[in-house]
Amino acid sequence: MILVKDAQPEADPAKLWTMALQDRTNPAVPAVRVTRRKVTVDLDAMSTMDPAVAAMHEAAGNGATPVKSPVAGPAGAPPEPAAEAGAAPEPGAPATDAQEAAARETIVDGQALDVATETTEERRVRFERDAMQYVDQLYSAAMRMARNPADAEDLVQEAYTKAFSAFHQYKPGTNLKAWLYRILTNTYINLYRKRQREPLQSNSDTIEDWQLARAESHTSSGLRSAEAEALDHLPDSDVKRALQDIPEEFRLAVYFADVEGFAYKEISDIMNTPIGTVMSRLHRGRKMLRDMLADYAAERGFKAADATAAAGSNKQENRK
Amino acid sequence: MSDCQGLGDCDDARMQRIYEYLDGALTHDDIAEIKDHLDGCPECFEQYDLECVIRVMVKRSCTEAAPENLKNSILDRIHSSNPVEA
Repeated sequence: MILVKDAQPEADPAKLWTMALQDRTNPAVPAVRVTRRKVTVDLDAMSTMDPAVAAMHEAAGNGATPVKSPVAGPAGAPPEPAAEAGAAPEPGAPATDAQEAAARETIVDGQALDVATETTEERRVRFERDAMQYVDQLYSAAMRMARNPADAEDLVQEAYTKAFSAFHQYKPGTNLKAWLYRILTNTYINLYRKRQREPLQSNSDTIEDWQLARAESHTSSGLRSAEAEALDHLPDSDVKRALQDIPEEFRLAVYFADVEGFAYKEISDIMNTPIGTVMSRLHRGRKMLRDMLADYAAERGFKAADATAAAGSNKQENRK
Repeated sequence: MSDCQGLGDCDDARMQRIYEYLDGALTHDDIAEIKDHLDGCPECFEQYDLECVIRVMVKRSCTEAAPENLKNSILDRIHSSNPVEA
């Protein structure tokens, strides 16, 4: 069930961000907080930032601690979803006065920030403080777009330059990271895609049949937990290669959702596509990814059958 | 074709439920229902588990630190440009 409305491409961008804020403050969109003993992954860490990843960021010296944005991604949203279950307002309910106020101004050093009267220098300081912490993340995304380090650097640099010159249009209190991602995506389209102002357009119709056919055969043969073990042994380079081989619009949707943890609505804003399109891209992109990873695992000899045998001899009894 | 139809009557439907579950795009009732089902169904749980593994792998693999000179050149550009005055 989707609780958010489709983006209105013709709407004023500022309005879109307010809408996004309202949608994400809706407690009816719950966070998934699954605490299962059987699950081997930490969903909390997954949905924000893996501690190892956070450590990498710290090591990189950019101080990018896993900041939860005010309009957190899917699993970041309301802290205590269960407690609010009974009080869920209708989707699209108006934001409270406090939220409106937060969207209008940010308190900086005890003073209300008035974007309109801010000096250039003040804006520069605010930009450096708030936006520069996302350079690593934007660079990672740019690597998924441009697919080589030199172009990725250019892309991020260009996006940041644009973001800075448009920073007075950014509404404090709304999701800055998503705003930056949107600029990055637009910059990519304009700089590298040369498809004028067309939104990331779906090539879905031209997806090779073999890709879907292969997806079917994998799914029907069933990927069991032995397969999960096999996949888990794949090197990072295989995962990157698999992502690169997925058509762009699927790749980016998967990246935005699975790496950045953006909600469907946020992805639809970033990619300027309806939510339904985001969901179908995610579905197909994830399926393709899973397939390719299974292929790579097979190429590397981590076949499900082998893994099963290994697991069997390992006392690691497979569930079914 | 999956044997279990607890999360949907075909593989696609089942995976869609699992994706929405992991994406936090469901109501509380749906979440409770899916969680209950996963607890009791090894077949669906394995699909769920595999998806979790893939997400962790993707996240791990695709998190790169930007080159240090990139941050510096961004800062240089910002300092040499004048943003539009609001």
